[in-house]
Amino acid sequence: MSTKKMTRRDFLKYAGLASGAAVAASVMGTLPAAAAEATEKPSLFQFPHIQKKEFEGVIVRMLAISGANYDELYKIIPEWEEQTGAKVEFVFKGDGFQTDKRLVQDFAAGTVDYDVCWDHSSFFSQYVKADGLEPLENWFSDEELADFIPRLVDATRRDGHLWVIPRHFDISCMHYRTDLMGADQVPETWDQFKELAKQLTDPAKGIYGTQFAGKEEALSGRFYEVMTAEGGQLFNEKWEPTFNSPAGVKAATMFAELYAAGAMPPGMTSFVWEDVAKNFAAGIIAIYSEWYGWYSFFQDPSASKVAGKFDLARQPMGDGKIHSGWAGHHGFSITKASQNKPAAASLIKWLTSVKGNELEAKLGFLVARQSVWEKIIVEAETSTDPLAKKRLELALLQAQEDFKTPPLIAEWLPMSNILYPILQQIILGDVEPQKGLDDAAEQVRDMMAKAGYYGTGA
Amino acid sequence: MATISVTKSPARARVFEISADEAKRLPWLLLTPGLVALAVVVAFPMFYSFYLSFTNYDLTRPTTEFVGLYNYIKLFSNATFWQAFGRTVLFMTLAVNLEFLIGLAIAQLMAKALLGRGLLRTVLMMPMMFAPVLVGFQFKWFFNDQVGLVNNLLFTLTGQPHIIPWLVQVPLGFISILVAEVWMGTPFMVIILEAGILSLPTEPFEAAEVDGASGWQKFRHLTFPMIGPFIYTAMAIRSLDLARVYDVVSIMTGGGPGTRTELIWTYVYRLAFTGHDYATGSAMSYVTVIVSFLFTFFLFRNVIRSRWEGRE
Amino acid sequence: MSAIGYTKAGRRPRIGDYLRDAALYLIILIFFLPVLWIILTSIRPNMEINTRPPIWIPRELTLDSYKILLGWPTPEGAFGLGSNIPFGQYARNSIIIASVSTLFSLTFGTLAGYAFARFAFKGKNSVFLGMMLARAVPGIALSLPLFVLFARLGLSDSILGMIITYVALNVPFTAWLMDGFFRAIPAELDEAALIDGCSRWSAFLRVDLPLALPGAAASGIFAFLTAWNEFALANVITRTPASRTFPPALYEFTGQFVSDWRGMCAMSVMMLIPAIIFVALVQRQLMTGLTSGAMKG
Repeated sequence: MSTKKMTRRDFLKYAGLASGAAVAASVMGTLPAAAAEATEKPSLFQFPHIQKKEFEGVIVRMLAISGANYDELYKIIPEWEEQTGAKVEFVFKGDGFQTDKRLVQDFAAGTVDYDVCWDHSSFFSQYVKADGLEPLENWFSDEELADFIPRLVDATRRDGHLWVIPRHFDISCMHYRTDLMGADQVPETWDQFKELAKQLTDPAKGIYGTQFAGKEEALSGRFYEVMTAEGGQLFNEKWEPTFNSPAGVKAATMFAELYAAGAMPPGMTSFVWEDVAKNFAAGIIAIYSEWYGWYSFFQDPSASKVAGKFDLARQPMGDGKIHSGWAGHHGFSITKASQNKPAAASLIKWLTSVKGNELEAKLGFLVARQSVWEKIIVEAETSTDPLAKKRLELALLQAQEDFKTPPLIAEWLPMSNILYPILQQIILGDVEPQKGLDDAAEQVRDMMAKAGYYGTGA
Repeated sequence: MATISVTKSPARARVFEISADEAKRLPWLLLTPGLVALAVVVAFPMFYSFYLSFTNYDLTRPTTEFVGLYNYIKLFSNATFWQAFGRTVLFMTLAVNLEFLIGLAIAQLMAKALLGRGLLRTVLMMPMMFAPVLVGFQFKWFFNDQVGLVNNLLFTLTGQPHIIPWLVQVPLGFISILVAEVWMGTPFMVIILEAGILSLPTEPFEAAEVDGASGWQKFRHLTFPMIGPFIYTAMAIRSLDLARVYDVVSIMTGGGPGTRTELIWTYVYRLAFTGHDYATGSAMSYVTVIVSFLFTFFLFRNVIRSRWEGRE
Repeated sequence: MSAIGYTKAGRRPRIGDYLRDAALYLIILIFFLPVLWIILTSIRPNMEINTRPPIWIPRELTLDSYKILLGWPTPEGAFGLGSNIPFGQYARNSIIIASVSTLFSLTFGTLAGYAFARFAFKGKNSVFLGMMLARAVPGIALSLPLFVLFARLGLSDSILGMIITYVALNVPFTAWLMDGFFRAIPAELDEAALIDGCSRWSAFLRVDLPLALPGAAASGIFAFLTAWNEFALANVITRTPASRTFPPALYEFTGQFVSDWRGMCAMSVMMLIPAIIFVALVQRQLMTGLTSGAMKG
C-alpha cells in the first residue's frame, strides 16, 4: 500500500496541518480486498539473531507510523519481547505526516526520547541533516542485507552510511483500460503515451485520455520521473539545478500539451492521489500512471467501474532509454540519541524479517525481501485473479531495475514546493515551459545557495 | 451622546477620590492582565520573527547564520509577492464592500421583520459559527468540477453535465474564494448594522413620515448617516480580518493553481513552512504586517479621536 | 431604541411588510443552504455522496457517520474515518479551552475596557492602538515563534497554552467593545453610588458591571466563536489528543488517498451544536449590548 507520496508533507515542517493527507495512508488498509486477508496466520519463523533473554529488562521506545494496515506488523512484537526479555513502548503513533512532523521537531529541539523511529526514503535526508540518526552499517552486516532488493537499500545510503532498513515500498505502473485500447498499443515511450492519450480522448463518452495528480509533490514527482526518462537530471554533480534542460522542457511540454488538447480533466491541477484513483475507478480515464497500492480498490466491482477491465504495464521510457520509476519505501531507523542501540537494532531486524515481510505481503504491501517475493509469486500462480502474478512480477522487475528515489537531499520537498506551482502555470498555459523552468531553477539555486551547497553560503 | 469621560474633569476625579498617584497606577493595573497575555502571545513572537527575518533560519538546519538585509532585498524584487499583495488588497476591497452591501440590505429587512427575529438571527449567524477551515473544506467541495454542488445544480437545472473547473479558471477561482469569504463574513456585518438600525431614535422617523418622506428618502437621509459609526466599525473590523485571510483560501486553492489565487498569507505559508524558507517568510510577514499596522492606525485613529477626544 | 419605532409604532402590518419578510426569509435561506447541505450529507448513505448526476433527495437516512465518530457500534462495512478520531477528548479540549478562555478574555477585557472608558491616562491612545494592531497579525505569522516559546515554557501541547493563546487573541476586541459599553453608562450613576458610600470597587461591581452585562454577552459570543474555531495556532500548539481541538481534527477526514466527506460533515454538525446553543441563548443580549452604544464612535 502506498504512502510514498506524502505531498502535503510540506506541512509537517513543524507547522504542518499534515494530519490529513496521511490518514490516507492509514485508510488504505480498509480497502476491501487487502483487509480480508489480514487474518491469515503467517508461518512461524525462528529468528536466528536472537539469543534468549539477551535484553532482559530493556525498554525499547518507538515512534511508529500508524493506521489500519501499518499496525498489523506490530502484532509480531510480543514474540520478540518474549524471546529477548525486552519491552517495546510506543511513544507516539501517527500517520506519516504527523510522525515526520514529530521527528523534525524533536531533532530540532533535541527532545528525542525513543530508540527506533519510522523512516522513509524521501524523508530521511532531512533527519540526517538534522543529525538525528545513527548510521546503521555497524548494526547490520552485508550478509543480513543481502536478501533486500538492492535498490531499496541503496536508496538510503548517503554520505557513506546506511540510514534506513526498508520495510516495504511502492512504485507506479501504467494502468490502462483493456476495453478502450489493445495490449499492442501499450506505449513504449512517453512520446507514444502522449499521442495515445490524445487519441483515446473522447469527450462524447466522457473519456479523458489520461491524467496526473496536479499539485504538490505528486506533480513534481511525476515531472521528475518523466524528465529522468527523457535523460534529464534535477541537479548536476555540483548540486546546481538542471531541470530546465531540454529534457525538462520536453517533459513539462508534454503535460502542457495534454492539458491544452483536453486530454486531461480540466480540474487536474487540484487533484491529489485520491482524485486520480477515483477518476480511474469511475471509468473516465483511459491510461495513466498509478501506484500499485490501489489495485484491490480498482478490482472491487462495488467500488470501481473498471474492475476486470484494465491491465498493467511498465512505465514508458523517454529519449534517455530509461524507464520512469519514481518510488519510495518505508522503513525503520535508530535515533542517535538512543541508549539501547543493540536492542533497537534487534527489534528492527525482527520487524523487517522474513516473517514480518510475509505478513505485510499478505496485506498487499510490496515488501522489501526478495526471498519473500519469490514465494508470493509462486503462490500467485494459483490465484483466481488473472492479473495477480503479472502484477507481482512487474512490481518486482520495476523495483529491481527502475526504482528511483528523488535526490537524497533534505531540499527535495522545498524544491518540489518551488517547482509545482510553476509546473501548474506551465500546464495551464500561463507561462512558457522554458521560461517557467528557468525561473524555477533560479529560485531553487537560490534556495540551495542559502542551504550552503555552493560553499560560502548566502 | 451621553458618553462622559470621568477623569477629564478634575471635579469628577475628586468624586472618585483618586490620588494623583493612584490615577496613574490604577488604569495600568486594570490593563495589566490583558497586556501580559498579548506580550506573550503576540509581541514576543513578533520580535522573534523580526530577528529571524535577518537570518537564514531553517528548521532542519542545525546552524543559523545572520544574513543582514538579504531576505528583504530579495523580497522587493519578488514579483510573485507583489502580485499576491495586490491581489490581497483587491480581494479585501471587494469582499468588504460586498459584505457591507449585502449585510446592509439584510440588516434593513431584519430590523423591520415582523416575527421570528431571534430565530432568523440565530440561523443567519451560522456561517459565523463555522470554523474558517471548515468553510474552506465545504466550499472547495461545493466548487469541485466533477461532483461539486454548484456544477451539479447546473446539471439539474440545464439537464446537461457541466464540468466547470471553478477553482482553476481565471477569474472563477478568485470569485469562488470570494464567495466563500463573503458567505462567512456577511453575518457579522448584519449583526452590527442591525444593531445600528435598532439603536436609532424613533422621533426623526416619525417626523419624516409626517412630512411624507418615502422609504428610500428615510433610508438615504436618516438611517444611513445615523448608523455611520456602526458602518465604520463593522467595516474596520472586517477589513482587519480580511487582511489576515488565510484558512479558507489555503484549503480551497492553496493560492493556486500556479499563482492564480495567491494571496499574501498563502504565499508566506508556502515559502516559510512548505518551502523551508522561514526567514524569507518572516521578512514577508513583516512587510505585510507593517502595512496592516499603518492601515489599522488610520482606521482606528478616527475611533480614538471620536472616543476620547473632543467629546466633552 | 426599539425596532417598533423604526417602522411606525402600532401600525398594522400591510401586505408590503409580508412581501418584505418573504424576501428576507429567501435571503436567509440562501445563506442557510450550505449548512442544510452539510447536515443532509452527514446523514445520507456514502453511495449518494459525490455522484454525477447528483442525487438530491436522500433515499435513506443513516446516522452511521455520527456513530462512527462517537465510537458506537455500526453495521458491518460502514465506512468512516471518524473512528480514528478521539472525539471525546477533542470535545473535552475544545469545550474547556473555548469556555475558560472566553471567561478570562471577558474578565481581562472588561478590566481593560473599564480603564479605557473611565480613566484618562498617559499612553492611553497608544495602548488602545497597540491592542488593535494585535488583531492585524494573522495566526500563521505567530505560529512558529509561539511554538518555540511554548516549547521552552513547557506549554506546548497543553490546554493551558491554548487558553493563554486565545485569551490574548480575544482581549483586544473584548476590551474595545467593553469600553463602548461602559461609556454608554452615564458616569453620574457611578457618582451617585459613590456619594451613597460605595467604594469605587463596589461601585464598579454593583453599578457598572450589571449594566454592562449585555455587552459582556456580546463580547462573549465573539470570543467564544474565535476560540472554538481557530485553526492556525491550534494546529501548531496541539500535538496530541491531550490538547487537540476540533478545527485541526477536521484535517483527519481528508487525505490524498481517501477522504470521508460524510464524516467531516458529521463532525461539522457536532461542532456547530454548542455554538448554536450558545448563540441562541445570548443573541438577544448581543443585540441589546450592541445597540447600547459600543459601536457609536
